[in-house]
Amino acid sequence: MNTHPYLRAFLAGAFVPTLILPLMLAGFIIFRLVLQVPIPIERGIVFPMALVPSLWGVWNMLWLVTHMRTHLAISLHGVLLPLLLMPCGALLGSGLGILALGSTGVVWFQEIHVPYVLIAPIFLCGLIGYYLVWKYIVGSVNRVLGIA
Amino acid sequence: MNAHDEERMNELIRQSIAPMHASEPARDLWPDMLHRMDARPQVPPWFDWVLAGGVLGFVALVPASIPVLLYYL
Repeated sequence: MNTHPYLRAFLAGAFVPTLILPLMLAGFIIFRLVLQVPIPIERGIVFPMALVPSLWGVWNMLWLVTHMRTHLAISLHGVLLPLLLMPCGALLGSGLGILALGSTGVVWFQEIHVPYVLIAPIFLCGLIGYYLVWKYIVGSVNRVLGIA
Repeated sequence: MNAHDEERMNELIRQSIAPMHASEPARDLWPDMLHRMDARPQVPPWFDWVLAGGVLGFVALVPASIPVLLYYL
């Protein structure tokens, strides 16, 4: 019987962002439409909503494909994903006008100024977040679905 | 195509397509799934708590990082 391991890997990978994105959408509605916060979040929400869940699913499928050869822990495999996501997100963000490079830092959403000094710590926080989420949540869902 | 050709074609199709077997599993798989879900959860080591605390502390100190992190999820 074909147990469709790659389909299960995709669903397990897409599980976390699929849960978080409705919360982000609710946050967007509250901040932008209810509280009328003058930050154009809607330009930036395209990237996480359109690409990130599928990328997580494909990334988990890739782990399943390569795991037998590389024996790489799923947490470390997850840490590699931001190395791909962050340049893509930055490129898309600058194209959509939500990210602008200034003389002292990066301006996000035309309002939020992030000094260059903080870029590396933020990137590190992203890596740690991915490490923890992939280790404990995606790994756990993989075990429940019988692919880890 | 006459009746003989049609019969011959049907025979060839029957030979080339494998017979269908029951796709249902032989036993109920849900108890196994429940057993897996009830398995003892992994206890995080101390350094994972430190990492999580560090991220939360940084986000509390630099709130501007929240939308950037959310953008990348």
